[in-house]
Amino acid sequence: MNKVRASLLALLLLCIAILLQSTILGRIAIASVRPDIALIILVFVSLRRGSMVGQISGFASGILEDFMSVSPLGFHPLMRAVIGYIYGRFSGTVFVDPFLMPMILTAVATLLKGLLSGLVSTLFGITSSGFLYFAGRLWIEMGYNAVLSPFLFAALNLIKTFRQAEKEGT
Amino acid sequence: MPGLFEGFVGKHKRGVTLAVLVLLSLFSLLVSNRTLIIQPKEVGLSIMSFFQKGFSGVFRWIGETAGSIRLLQQAREELAAVNLKVQALDQTNRDIIQLRRENQLLREQIDLIHSLPADRISAEVIAKDHDNLFSTITVNKGSRHGVRRDMPVVAYQGDLEGLVGKVVAVSAGSAQILPLYDPQCQVSARLERSRYEGLINGQGQDRQNILMRYVKKIAVDSIEYGDLVVTAGLGGLYPKGINVGRIRDILARGYETSLLLEIEPIIDFSRLEYVYILQLEPEVVEAQ
Repeated sequence: MNKVRASLLALLLLCIAILLQSTILGRIAIASVRPDIALIILVFVSLRRGSMVGQISGFASGILEDFMSVSPLGFHPLMRAVIGYIYGRFSGTVFVDPFLMPMILTAVATLLKGLLSGLVSTLFGITSSGFLYFAGRLWIEMGYNAVLSPFLFAALNLIKTFRQAEKEGT
Repeated sequence: MPGLFEGFVGKHKRGVTLAVLVLLSLFSLLVSNRTLIIQPKEVGLSIMSFFQKGFSGVFRWIGETAGSIRLLQQAREELAAVNLKVQALDQTNRDIIQLRRENQLLREQIDLIHSLPADRISAEVIAKDHDNLFSTITVNKGSRHGVRRDMPVVAYQGDLEGLVGKVVAVSAGSAQILPLYDPQCQVSARLERSRYEGLINGQGQDRQNILMRYVKKIAVDSIEYGDLVVTAGLGGLYPKGINVGRIRDILARGYETSLLLEIEPIIDFSRLEYVYILQLEPEVVEAQ
């Protein structure tokens, strides 16, 4: 029951983040690159609640992302589910300090997102900016996400459901 | 055997869930990439655009309220300046009417009238793609207002009409536009002065120039920086003569048989707020 509640709450947060990204966050874009706060939330949730909550909420939010984008259905769910799963495997085993670890973990997640999107785009012949992504946008997004992550982690820590890390396998 | 399977699933619950989710995603990608399924996306777009409209509206309201005081002062100053301009424009207007009459007569004589029977649907930009991997613009008009897939979209900036892109997805109350700067958006274009043709596509960023490829190399002597590029009307999607951009760079590589032109779009996509969707069916454009 706890996991269902955590998944639903995570999905709600991810949904708000996606809506913010598509509307207001365009105004704070750096060189047309907006931060992926949904990814930061997914990393946090997966680290705290494990791979099951991470992958399910990531998958569900990915579907919503595909509805709002020109991307084919399945593109974002695949990426988000895999990232949620991978980070969830480290739940309860990684010490997350207030600054450095959120930055490193988010930067790696952004890199992983870039790699996965490039792979899926190549495999399915999807024409996206993904190919140009590595030329500079990925690095800007990586830096942007990393800078924002300590603040978002701190804010998400205030939510009771996500306060304690759940050790994977329990 | 069933016990063995259940035991395996029970032991690797997380891995099995991931495998199911990945397979679901891959299946969905396979199907939707071949455009067999469009319905779920349209339904989803309808729901999500409803929330996007809400978010967009709330933030716009806050921004407008805060900015209204400053705008009031600006408006007063602008009013004085506008009054002066109106007097000058009044004279210009009389001249334009005269010129228009002459122009009409000349056009009829050389049979160059290409009047487009295009109705326009004005729409407001409510959201842009949330991810940096794709570039779409969501507007607040949909099939209920007569918007259909593949309709061309234009906008006005600085007294000039410029091409924005085309409609790629439509729900009842909203539509998604694929902008000119997206790598997927391809437009057959023509240099307005020298009439050479080429193919335009974007580089993925709204602030980056777009590229015009396959322009014949012999055109290099008759092309100048700042030349206007317009739609060629080929391909049956975009009507002829819509402004696309101006030449900013000419790349003539020795090993290539054609020129590569860098075009600065007429439309500044970072300032785009309102667009006009041309109610033209592809057959109509093709017929023209």
